[in-house]
Order: sequence, then structure tokens, then C-alpha cells
Amino acid sequence: MLRNLVSRNVTPAARAWQPSTLPRLATSSRGLATAADPYDVVVVGGGPGGYVAAIKAAQLGLKTACVEKRGSLGGTCLNVGCIPSKALLHNSELYHAAKHDFKNRGIDVKDVNLDLTRFMKFKDTSVTQLTKGVEGLLKKNKVDYVKGTASFSSPTSLNVQLLEGGETSLEAKNIVLATGSEVTPFPGIEIDEEQIVSSTGAIALKKVPEKMIVIGGGVIGLEMGSVWSRLGAEVTVVEFLTAIGGAGMDGEVATSFKKILEKQGMKFKLGTKVIDAEKKDGKVFLNVEDAKSGKKEQIDADCVLVAIGRRPYTKGLNLEAVGIEVDQRGRIVVDDAYNTTCKGVKCIGDATFGPMLAHKAEEEGIAVVEMIKSGHGHVNYEAIPAVVYTHPEVAWVGPSEEDLKKQGVEYRVGKFPLMANSRAKTNQDSEGFVKVLVEKNTDTLLATHIIATGAGELVASSVLAIDYKASAEDYARVCAAHPTMMESVKEAMMAGSNAMGGKAIHF
Amino acid sequence: EAIQTLATPAVRRLCHEHSLNVASISGTGKDGRVTKEDVLRHAGLTVD
Repeated sequence: MLRNLVSRNVTPAARAWQPSTLPRLATSSRGLATAADPYDVVVVGGGPGGYVAAIKAAQLGLKTACVEKRGSLGGTCLNVGCIPSKALLHNSELYHAAKHDFKNRGIDVKDVNLDLTRFMKFKDTSVTQLTKGVEGLLKKNKVDYVKGTASFSSPTSLNVQLLEGGETSLEAKNIVLATGSEVTPFPGIEIDEEQIVSSTGAIALKKVPEKMIVIGGGVIGLEMGSVWSRLGAEVTVVEFLTAIGGAGMDGEVATSFKKILEKQGMKFKLGTKVIDAEKKDGKVFLNVEDAKSGKKEQIDADCVLVAIGRRPYTKGLNLEAVGIEVDQRGRIVVDDAYNTTCKGVKCIGDATFGPMLAHKAEEEGIAVVEMIKSGHGHVNYEAIPAVVYTHPEVAWVGPSEEDLKKQGVEYRVGKFPLMANSRAKTNQDSEGFVKVLVEKNTDTLLATHIIATGAGELVASSVLAIDYKASAEDYARVCAAHPTMMESVKEAMMAGSNAMGGKAIHF
Repeated sequence: EAIQTLATPAVRRLCHEHSLNVASISGTGKDGRVTKEDVLRHAGLTVD
């Protein structure tokens, strides 16, 4: 391969940020034979795993580059995932409250109307601010940001097709793959991102569909279904399994959550298999079949969201060339130090094992560069929270009751309904409960499952407690401010702790 | 010095209850923290 590399030492070293010194192959370049200094770390992918790894690496004094092909940093999360969906969830909740709930609270508003163009613009502004913010952080930490698509040319070098044209080659002592994931397609249903959309299309619809079908009752489907339902769409969720919420959600929580969403107007067809879809007269007709009885049915919608999952994305990396092993689900195989089967190459985030969560990837991003720097890093996979940002939110950390039963762990359940929480009652927002699972013998807190407004924030203290190996009593003996939702977690701990008599005060 | 031993409120409470010095118990928790389990085991109160 032709490598016309310009030495990085050409420009004075005094300048902190030297994008122009990146080795690149321009067609007009006269081409110096000097090889560039290798980077200590090159991170492939600028998502939550990648950009965090890059920043941390630079902070640890490692010479770092981050390669991203999207044209903006932040990856799926910031561009088409967490951030835009949460912007839509928040504002659709405000809209829905203004339209349906303000009156009960003594606030009369006339003519509540949706301006979808501005609604979407608000979301886009949040996304742009955050992605630009990450770019600023890379700059501040002196990470070289390379815009382009990387592929392996050897275990220590990557060829990058630059977005602006041309290509470059990056030499690295360590390569961290953080290439993320993509939408799992539904066999036989073609996504056009207009009528049949993935999550990417669902955050950018041009009008509120009258009828919307969501294929997949997991987190993404429920969140996007909530958004469009609040904006006026009649939403039906079709799920093959018999419960919603996806992997890890506690069974009791999932049942209760479904009831709450039904009360809000969402419909569910569980245990239902989608066969195929046809587009006709501006509508989509979905052929479905009851998984048990085999009874067939056709349902129609203006818009269908395919949200059956995400799969690792490793396209174009040329993994075969350097012998990086991928499992049958497309995940890059790693050991407990994130090493792939190619020496010097590590992998983190959605592209490898574990739950596909931004904060999980971030933790791994830090751990992986600490391992490169000092030989040890650590992620506690027992203490990674999961959050569904609907209203109310669902959040949990630790195993479900079903998991514990399977593992044969003896546990106690402590439960506290929000109906009995002062703040929830004050706000007239008291749907949900806190449920804690506590090891019977030692009182160790194993899991916290919450349905509540702000559950994603409420669960944080339980994550800390579990990471500290705290007992339910520990938590119950810590003072919670009054009136706050947090009191409900404290009271659930009282109810779950034998040492506290297994009783809450207010219930 | 007992005060230097990392332990949570429940652990200190349990130690008080059984007149144990928390510093005399070897911890298995994070950074050598004495967990409630450690105290129970030390006091022979847990079935393994």
C-alpha cells in the first residue's frame, strides 16, 4: 500500500492543537518518506465508549487519536439515540401535560398546539450543542480528531478514508475499537425511514402519524411509542415475547409498567409474531400471527417503527486481516481486559459483549485506557443501572427476582408504593413503586427496581450502595430529605431489611 | 485507629451491638472495607 506520509514534526510543536499535522495522503502531496510517530492509542469510534476512552487516554498522558466517520462526535447516543430521544420525551411530556393535565392543576391554557418543526429543531439544537461540546473536549485534551472511516492494514496500523477526501494511515501501539452498533433489520421489512422507520427515522418524523405500530416492546420501542402517543398518535406495540421492557426488567415491574402505559393509551399485542409488511395507499399493512394459537391478523398504520434490537457494527474494519474473532451474534470477542484475539487491539461498548448502554461503554472506555496505561482497570458489571425514560420512568440496578430465583439466591423483598410518598402525593404524580431485593442472610442490597418520575435519578444512590456492598440497613439508616421521592427508596430499604424490622414507616 | 477503618453505618452499629472493635475485623469489601457480612461472620452469626 502506498503511504505518502508527512511527518508530524513539520509544524512547530508549540501549537497545542495541530489538525494539519495529521499524516495524510493528498493526491497532490509530494510525499515524504518519513514515517509518523506512532500514537500510543488510536480509538476507532467517537461514541460514548470511544470519545471517553480518547479523553481519558490523553489525560493519562498518552498520545491519542480518535477516528470517527459520522462527521460529528458522540456516536449513536448523542446523534440518533439517547440525546435526541430524551429531548423528544421531555417536550412531548410537557405538551401532553399542557393539553391534558394543567387544567386539573388550576392552570387554564387555551389552544395548545404542536409546532412539530420547532419541536424537532429544539431536539436538533440539543444534539448539536452536545456533539460540538465533545469536539471541544477532544481539542481541550489534545486528542487528534480524525474524520474518516478506519480499516486495519496491520495489527498496529489503520488506513483511514477521510471524509473530506483522500486517505491517511495511522500507526498505533494500541488500538481501541469502539465502533458501536446499528439497528437490527427485520427480515422481509424494508426500512425507508419515512413510513417504515428505525429509531433514527422515528426521532425525525415530519408529521404525527394517526396510527403507529411499534415492532418490539423493548426500551427503544416503548420510549418512541410514548413520544408519538403523547403527540396524538394511536400507538400499538407488537412484541413477540409475553412481557414488555426487554432483557433485565423485573417481571413484576414489567407487568405494572404495561398497565401504566395502557392507561396512557398505548395498546399492546404481546406474544405476537410479525410476518411481513406491505405498503399500499399510503399505509403500511402488517401481517401478524398469535405466537401460540397461530391466528393470523392484518393491522394497518401510517407509520411502522422497527425496534427489535441493535447489533454490533464492525463493517469495513477488515477484522479478518488481523485475525480478530467475532462471535455468531457479530460481537467482537474479548477477554476480561478487553483484548481481542489480535494483540494490541482492544474492544469496548456495543461492538462487544454486555448490555448496550452508553454509560456501560463509558465505564469501559475509562477502564480500557487505564489498563493500557497501568495494567489494571475495572468495571463493576453488577452495578450498572438501566433506565427507560418514559413517564413514569423505569430504572433498575442489579438482578430481577426471576434472575435471583434462577440463581437460587435467598432474598427478601422490600416494597414501597409512591402512593405513600409525600412528595409524589404533593405533585399528584404517584404512580409506581420502589422495590428492593436484599440477600436474606447478610442483608446485602442486591437490586433496586423503580417505577417513578425521575426513577433514573433515584436509582443512582442504589448503584452506589451496591457498588459499596452496602446492606439494606445501611441505606435505610442514611437520612433522606423531606419531602423527596428519595424517601420512597429509603422506606423500601426499611421494608427490605430484617435489621430494620422489615417495615417501612409510612406504609 | 478504628476511625480509619472503612465501614458503613450498619457495620458500625452491628459492631457496637456485639461489642466488637471494627478495626479488629478484616474486611472483604472494596479497599478493605468491613462489610456487614464480615462482622456477622466474625461474630459467628452467619451460616455459610
